[in-house]
Amino acid sequence: AGGAGRRGTGPGSGPGRKLNIGVDIIQHGVEGLVYLLTESSKLMISEVDFQDSINVLGFSDELNKSLLQLYLDNRKEIRSILGELAPRLPSYHSLEWRLDVQLASRSLRQQIKPAVTMKLHLNQNEDQTAQVLQTDPATLLHLIQQLEQALGEMKMNHCRRIVRNMK
Amino acid sequence: MCVISNSFILDDPDLKDIDPTVLKHCHAAAATCILEAGRQKADISAISTCLEDCKLDKERIEQFCTEYQKNKDALEILLGSIGRSPLHITDVSWRLEYQIKNNQLHKTYQPSYLVTLNVENSNSGSHPDVSFSCTMEQLQDLVGKLKDAAKSLERATQM
Repeated sequence: AGGAGRRGTGPGSGPGRKLNIGVDIIQHGVEGLVYLLTESSKLMISEVDFQDSINVLGFSDELNKSLLQLYLDNRKEIRSILGELAPRLPSYHSLEWRLDVQLASRSLRQQIKPAVTMKLHLNQNEDQTAQVLQTDPATLLHLIQQLEQALGEMKMNHCRRIVRNMK
Repeated sequence: MCVISNSFILDDPDLKDIDPTVLKHCHAAAATCILEAGRQKADISAISTCLEDCKLDKERIEQFCTEYQKNKDALEILLGSIGRSPLHITDVSWRLEYQIKNNQLHKTYQPSYLVTLNVENSNSGSHPDVSFSCTMEQLQDLVGKLKDAAKSLERATQM
């Protein structure tokens, strides 16, 4: 049923004929199952809450047990698929860098101008983009200092307290 | 080469008695001489010799060289900044957020960073910033690589 849910609900004549039930009923059944599993996974409801929710439907104990198992087995994968649907910014993939020293240009001979040239690889909606950027040594040190500060924030008491209290 | 406007010369009250065409020629000649001297990083003796060959008198040569010397560094900085280069990073800003839920998924509970690199285009000056999100591990990877670059720079300067 999980597989059928992923492929979408088209009129499946195969199962209908096998179980001797109308196509409509099969379709509604599959849609209902998909909705049940998706909503439960989205909200990450506990086993107890899941069982309480489906009890009101009046199914047999055996069916309730199967549904619960289906939920627990597929929850992680469903959540990871739902996670892909959320709004996203381009995300970091990797960084390549290179040290350059400019020795001359058309406008000025005899220079010594150090620079760090980088290729920033980002992921955006399944595409990977690469952007070439450059910076000077002073700015590079500034970038490192700023980003190290950013990393340090998660270890601060303030963030720790919030993370603890939000679970 | 950058275009130097000569409008301030033509509007100068002290020079209003001189034929504007002559003024323009003088300005162009002086500008060319200064820019070439700057580009070649010529020293004062070379400039003097060149001006002597052009039959300028000693007083004028001295005046010219003194003024040139005063502005030499600024000139070199200006000339060095002309030219094409990749987008230049000038600054970085970051934001740390803790994701709780979105409309597709609840109880996500994940920290995430949003990093924005302020970049400048050598030609037009401004350029939209480069922004991206990353996890803590990804940011550690990025910082690690930047630190490698910095260490490599330090080693290079000691050679």
